Amino acid sequence: MDVVWKITGVRQRETVPDSAFSRADDIELVDITPDELRQRLAEGKVYLPDTARLAATNFFKPENLTALRELALRRMALTVDDQLVAAMRQKGVEGPWAAGERIVVLVAPGPEADALVRAGKRLSDMMMDAPWTVAYIERPNKPSPDAARAAALGAAFKLADQLGGTTVVLTGDDIVRALLEYVKRNNVTQVVVGRSRRSRWRTLFGRSLVAALLEGASGAAVHVITEGGQPQIPAPRPRTSRAAFWRGEIASIGFVGIAGLIAAAVDQLHQDANLAMIFLVSVLASGLAYGFWPAVTAAALSALAYNFFFLEPRLSFVIGHATDVLTFVVFFIVAMATGWLTGRVRDQAVATSRRATAITALLAASRRLSGSAERGDTARALAEQLAAATGGQAVVLLPKGEDIAAVAGSPNLPALGPGDLAAARWTWTHGEAAGADTGTLPNAAWTFRPLQGARKRSGVAGVEAKAMREEESERFVLALLEQGAVALERAELAADAADAEALRRSDKLRSALLNSVSHDLRTPLSTVLGSATTLLEYRDSLDEAAKADLLTSIREEAERLNRYVGNLLDMTRLEGEGLDIRNDWVDVRDVLGAAADRVSRRLGGRKISRDFPSDLAFVKADTTLLEQALVNILENAVAYSPDSSTIELAAYEDRNNVVISIEDEGRGIPTSELERVFEKFRRMEESTDRGKGAGLGLAISKGFVEAMGGRIAAASPIHEGRGTRILISLPKDASAQRLSA
Amino acid sequence: MSGHKQRILVVDDEPQIHRFLDRALEAAGFEPVRVETGRGALSEIAHRPPDAVVLDLGLPDMDGQDVLRDLRVFYAGPVIILSARDRELEKIEALDAGADDYVEKPFGVGELLARLRVALRRHRPSKQIEVIHVGDLVIDLPRRMVTRSGEMVRLSPKEYDLLARLVEADGRVLTHKDLLVSLWGPAHAEDTQYLRVFIGQLRQKIEPDPSAPRLILTQPGVGYRFLPEDMIAT
Repeated sequence: MDVVWKITGVRQRETVPDSAFSRADDIELVDITPDELRQRLAEGKVYLPDTARLAATNFFKPENLTALRELALRRMALTVDDQLVAAMRQKGVEGPWAAGERIVVLVAPGPEADALVRAGKRLSDMMMDAPWTVAYIERPNKPSPDAARAAALGAAFKLADQLGGTTVVLTGDDIVRALLEYVKRNNVTQVVVGRSRRSRWRTLFGRSLVAALLEGASGAAVHVITEGGQPQIPAPRPRTSRAAFWRGEIASIGFVGIAGLIAAAVDQLHQDANLAMIFLVSVLASGLAYGFWPAVTAAALSALAYNFFFLEPRLSFVIGHATDVLTFVVFFIVAMATGWLTGRVRDQAVATSRRATAITALLAASRRLSGSAERGDTARALAEQLAAATGGQAVVLLPKGEDIAAVAGSPNLPALGPGDLAAARWTWTHGEAAGADTGTLPNAAWTFRPLQGARKRSGVAGVEAKAMREEESERFVLALLEQGAVALERAELAADAADAEALRRSDKLRSALLNSVSHDLRTPLSTVLGSATTLLEYRDSLDEAAKADLLTSIREEAERLNRYVGNLLDMTRLEGEGLDIRNDWVDVRDVLGAAADRVSRRLGGRKISRDFPSDLAFVKADTTLLEQALVNILENAVAYSPDSSTIELAAYEDRNNVVISIEDEGRGIPTSELERVFEKFRRMEESTDRGKGAGLGLAISKGFVEAMGGRIAAASPIHEGRGTRILISLPKDASAQRLSA
Repeated sequence: MSGHKQRILVVDDEPQIHRFLDRALEAAGFEPVRVETGRGALSEIAHRPPDAVVLDLGLPDMDGQDVLRDLRVFYAGPVIILSARDRELEKIEALDAGADDYVEKPFGVGELLARLRVALRRHRPSKQIEVIHVGDLVIDLPRRMVTRSGEMVRLSPKEYDLLARLVEADGRVLTHKDLLVSLWGPAHAEDTQYLRVFIGQLRQKIEPDPSAPRLILTQPGVGYRFLPEDMIAT
């Protein structure tokens, strides 16, 4: 209360002790802005009027109220903070509340990967289907996993995909740092790692991976899964890889053999030649051409062959001289080291180039996918890319009403059997892979995977099962699907945005129309009603001239109403596709004449000049639409040009068109407005004639002219800063022959 | 216009239209007869044939076009149609079915009465148009000759036929189809470009200002009529 006194300089009598705050079970803040409070005070809702007036000048000054309000809010914030801390302590949670669970499962290439993936899925199930990702960290400075382990990794990724998880391959020398970075970037709350007896990551700078992770993972829980006792089925080595292996081994034997022959030849020519070098070349060659294992084989073989053939005593593995023992040992070490190094270099180069190829392909695909803005286009692009990646057929299904339907296929839209469709529907409803090679409906001829975007499922992609055999292409396909899903989602969002924009525009149009209807119908009606009632009430006291004037104005306003209703009808016909175009041979001079006649009564002191050639090509047009378009332009010219000016009509031919030109001597149109004169409800200020309707006239002219295949444009100013010229060009029909009598 | 007032039958279902047309027709020296349905009109025309009929095509009980076709079986007098501006096809159909003229709704009384008078004049039995004087232009139908300020205007036979057909119609609108069929034959009923060419040439030869025609008037989307303001027919 002392604080309050300091702020306001007024001692309050209505108080409670400070301890009431700490003893209260709960505190509720009743907040109101100072202005509102003063308003309530003024209305007599707080004190009786006399007290209120006094209070308003002393205590309830706006600056006092603002300061007191801040005090109250701060006090409340403190209390809430205390409650929060207490609640967290009660629930045993350290640190900030997690916004939502996110799980990452770190797998190493090996048979234990599957178990880790399943553990991740279980954790996700326990956490109300929290999103989960299976991560593998590729280490550029380490040899790529052997074929069996790579296959196990692929299988784990595939499993994750089927169970509804996502997969990611990270790159980094330091596993812990790479993983923690990912954890931080993606707000991961749960980390699942394995601890296998055979783990390659058992120690890392003296600490286990788990220990390093625990130390670094602030804010995320680390789950360590110990290896289960399930029987491990060794993944079969891919055939291609085994063949390549033996090819390498045989080649390395060949290289050593050649080296031996050369060494023998050199030995004949020169007794003391350093033959060991020649064998080293064969080791190098094996390593560079076929990788690590062939190089090791070549090194061993070379050492043996060198010893057997060239170290005394020859043709025996016995080494005679002590110095030769040293030579042999050094040679063996050098050969092994050379083989190991060159093999590694080669393996890495191959891995890098393969990854580069995949990345390039993915980049190209992503460019193609993001290049299409429309859903159908995106689906088509995705199908093409999938087909190209797998070498088989691909199909993309998108939602259609309640169901999904195939919208794009490559090379062409395939006919899916009922079994395939059932698998596709399963994928669509469950968000998991289905069809061939999966646990769900494996009899289908296709494998379907969900196109899961960031916010929702956009569709389903299917790949012909027999096409998807290779591990590499599968990983690529998964990446493609991810990209496709994102692209589809973006296309959908873009379409939604366009719809919203269209809706907004039509809303705007509707309100403009309502505005215009109420103004442009009511104004003439008011005049008619006013004039008519004046005539009825005062017919005896009005002189003849006044009566005539009122009657004329009734007629003019009625005509204006009629024109306006005509415009509205024309606009409705244009917008509602109710336009019935009856194109016919038309002499535009004829139509211009008829249009000019129709506006003749409204010209006032304006003159219409005509400049038509005596010979003019016909156009194919709808006479009545063209006439109405011209009448609207003429009425506009009349409305925006001064009395006693001239409106010039002209018609001429250019190469492909007949051009109609209508020029007035009005104020012209500012350049900034020029493009928009044909928009609906655009009306220039300072019309000399208020009877212009709602700015629909030119929009209708444009609509009609374009419906007939013509073009319309406005130019202004045309001379000495004044005047507007409207040009309409209608294509001459090639078949328009000119008959002569 | 001898002793009795000419009776004009107005067929329209809108009482407001009758209200002002009655006044206007009476003031112009006619005797208006009110009918609000198509059947009523047919019955009235059959029992007491009026001097002219003003027929709104939008009637509650019958299609106006049917009324027109039915009445034409036993009635030869002038019929003027009331129709909206954007209903070209309706006008063409009515004209081809024997209507004399049309007035676009909404209309001014002056316009309707002018059309009515032209139609009534045309139907006066004694009248046979032979020589037309418009300004300094003379069209001599019996001699198939057109002169301007005494000088011969050279027209091709087709141009003359077209002009004669328009002049003989005496202010009546002739539809494109009507003109094409009567001049070129039924096979050319759709070849409006013929018509555009000959109308253009005719205007070049007889109109004082071909770019602002005053003699041969275009009825956009419908046809042409020959209706000079200062025509003197003898």
